[in-house]
Amino acid sequence: MTTETTRTTKSKKLVSEFRQFLSEPWFAILTTILAAAILLFIVIPVFAVFFKSFGIGSGGFTFEYYKEFFARSYYLNSLLNSLGAAIISTIVVVLLSVSISLYVTRSTSFLSKFYRGAALLPLVAPPFIFSLSLIILLGRNGVVTSLLNDAFGLEFSIYGFWGVVLAQILGYFPIGYMLVESTMRNMSPSLENASRDLGANQSKTLRKITLPLSQSGITKAGLLVFVMALADFSNPLIIGGGETFIAAEAYLLVVGQQNLEQAAVLGVFLIIPSLIVFIFQTYVMKDSGLETISGESGASNAPLTKRVKSVVMTINTLFVSFIVLMFIMVVLGAFVKIIGIDNSFTLEHFQSRNGWDSLYTSIIVSFLAAILAATIGMLQGYLFARKPIPGKKALEFLTLFGLAVPGTVMGIGYVLIFNGSPFFLTGTVLLIVLNMTFRKIGVGLEASISKMHQIDSSMEEASNDLGAGPYRTFGKVVVPLLSPAFIAGFVYTFMTAMVSISSVIFLIAPGTNLAAVHILNLAEQAQIGMASAMSFVLIVIVLSCMGLLKYIEKKTGVSI
Amino acid sequence: MKKTIMLLVLMTTMVIITACGESGSSDEPLQVYTHNDSEEMDAMVENIEENTGVQLDVLRLSSGEGWSRIEAEAPEIGADMQIGMLHGFGMKAEEEGYLLPYESEQWEDVPDKFKQEDGEWYGTSFWYNMIAVNEEIIEDKGLDVPQSWEDLLDPQYEGEIALPDPGTSGTAFLIVSTIMQQMGEEEGWDYFEQLDKNVGQYTKSGSAPAQLVAQGEYAIGVSWDQAVLDYIDEGYPIKSVMPEEGVGYSLDVAWIFENTDQPEKAKEVMDYLGSQDFMELSAEYRSMVTKPGITDDSNVSDNFIDYDAQWDADNRDRIMEEWQNKFSN
Repeated sequence: MTTETTRTTKSKKLVSEFRQFLSEPWFAILTTILAAAILLFIVIPVFAVFFKSFGIGSGGFTFEYYKEFFARSYYLNSLLNSLGAAIISTIVVVLLSVSISLYVTRSTSFLSKFYRGAALLPLVAPPFIFSLSLIILLGRNGVVTSLLNDAFGLEFSIYGFWGVVLAQILGYFPIGYMLVESTMRNMSPSLENASRDLGANQSKTLRKITLPLSQSGITKAGLLVFVMALADFSNPLIIGGGETFIAAEAYLLVVGQQNLEQAAVLGVFLIIPSLIVFIFQTYVMKDSGLETISGESGASNAPLTKRVKSVVMTINTLFVSFIVLMFIMVVLGAFVKIIGIDNSFTLEHFQSRNGWDSLYTSIIVSFLAAILAATIGMLQGYLFARKPIPGKKALEFLTLFGLAVPGTVMGIGYVLIFNGSPFFLTGTVLLIVLNMTFRKIGVGLEASISKMHQIDSSMEEASNDLGAGPYRTFGKVVVPLLSPAFIAGFVYTFMTAMVSISSVIFLIAPGTNLAAVHILNLAEQAQIGMASAMSFVLIVIVLSCMGLLKYIEKKTGVSI
Repeated sequence: MKKTIMLLVLMTTMVIITACGESGSSDEPLQVYTHNDSEEMDAMVENIEENTGVQLDVLRLSSGEGWSRIEAEAPEIGADMQIGMLHGFGMKAEEEGYLLPYESEQWEDVPDKFKQEDGEWYGTSFWYNMIAVNEEIIEDKGLDVPQSWEDLLDPQYEGEIALPDPGTSGTAFLIVSTIMQQMGEEEGWDYFEQLDKNVGQYTKSGSAPAQLVAQGEYAIGVSWDQAVLDYIDEGYPIKSVMPEEGVGYSLDVAWIFENTDQPEKAKEVMDYLGSQDFMELSAEYRSMVTKPGITDDSNVSDNFIDYDAQWDADNRDRIMEEWQNKFSN
């Protein structure tokens, strides 16, 4: 009897929800379009990869390709290599993030600002840039290698597993760092102060109070870095030497042999860890409770004591100098003939029409994707936070899932879906834009939802009561309130789209080549000079765009 | 702020609309695949655009990569034309019916062996395998300069050889094909299994080994003629070695895809490729071009084996499958 009642109330609730949903037809239509788009551009491609791995769509259901996977130690090795490299990179990135965050959040000195800037620098470069500079520095005939060789007769090679690990640490560091830093910045200092007052010294306080409090941020950072490092395919291609890595292998299977089925199997093994991590992060971590302590007091954290500071600063200085050195190598590499061999100044590496064309395409495409992603994120955030939408939770999950899908898998999925009817989009700019957009809309969505939760709905109610309809309220009240979320989505998507490679590399065609892909191609031809030159220009462009946004932020007073 | 956002959204819509509108018009650039190196191709594209007025959009893919893309895209191949590809793939494409026959008058004086009889593909230049050796490393490590394919198997070169990967690189497939045609398949496989022990790195592109040797990353790199000679000209401490047993050579061919929607423009470009002007430009980047009287190839061709490009076309799939089986384990 009771279950009966709950069922009727439940269905009644559902019916009323539906009625409400349909009462604002434009929002209903928008939501439906959004949902369809999310399905088409995020969910279906992933499923397509999954089905393809069983041979569905090309000769019927079979386990053949999985058998092949396990029959060759080669594929299994590539999986183990990728997992190993990802785990090591993650641990190192997290440790370094904590170390730098500790200093940066407790000091306002110029040095602290400089460290922060340098730590974030890798964000604006293609993810494989460090492979290039590592080869320049530590290759078999690198600048440092030769010195060591001359001085001690020491010989080593950066190509291989450890080269990849090093490149990943440098490349994915900013992602981890940003999360750890923001957690530490938002932490209330009162608990730390209490601990110090009760007699614990600083290192004990750090161990017992600060780190446990930052745990959720640190875990989140670790998971994110892990997923990105696992899906990394460009570093193994450049610096992997003979070692195989799973994402790179999947890529080579597609472009070298068009063996989409086998590539799909590798894709499945690539997506499983990402999916586990994503579900863990979404459901298990949400209610850790510790993160709720946030800094409202306005007091700042106690500066580090001498002893802790000396440890932290040694690590930080070493690491930051390393990052800066890497970038200097790229800049030098761009302006000399062949760095380390013929160091005469030249501008010839910049004279590449194909390179400039691809830069132009990248800017246009990234700009469009950023606008689309930010707009959709904002709209979706509003609808999800305020409107009763059937299946809202599932849609939100799927949108955020777009962020977690490894680029290689998404790229292969797009190749499978959009290479024939009914959606023949292969080779078009539109497909690249859509790919970049839907992989990133999660960021704008998250920003908008959290912004909407901070804003009380009374303003919208007031607007409604004063006679403005729901659409007018949205335009006049909600959109202005959400503009910071819009900007956040825009900046993030633009920046990542400019340097993204793993997914779009499958989608380019003559005339739609992208800068990051072009640079990787140059690196494959071992054209370090041209690759460095194009990377340099790309970095300058992304940095200037960021600068421009900062300027707009100052002028308009909208925080970014 | 709201206005800015509205403006941005409006701009986006406009850009998308114009982008979509463009694709229908006849001013669309000609879409071209190539396997040529970026540096060379940049110069060629500029020259072609200047002299024909046809705009080109180029995508560079190494030979193996380009071919598998073409096969996957067929019959809706995503380019109008290919400028620079392996001879063997030209033959395969012809068999598969991917190509548009076009008899160009500009190509008349090019010997018949360099072009397909119905004008389905035309050979612009040819190139051959060449070994690059870094003299400094050889001296430092007390190694001998290899003189033949056989020498490369010597254990003293362990980890010192850079070889392109035949899965993606046409240069590499030419090496594989040469060895197989010379030694026979069984011995050929033995050769590569032994060579594998000395290979420090397989590269995706065929020019990369030359560059790696010039940079001093490896002592020996197997690559192709011009890639090596360029670095010698620029003064790097490397020398070229032509293996005693002889090398294979391949014609670099161009063709028009059957499904092109701009055949007139493509034909115009094809005419130009056969002109004296273009062949002379080509000769700056290649040691030999097919138009008579531009390059002197009398002394190089002594080193060529009796290479059979048809063998490439017929056996590539099978050989590559076995390659994957042997070296991907």
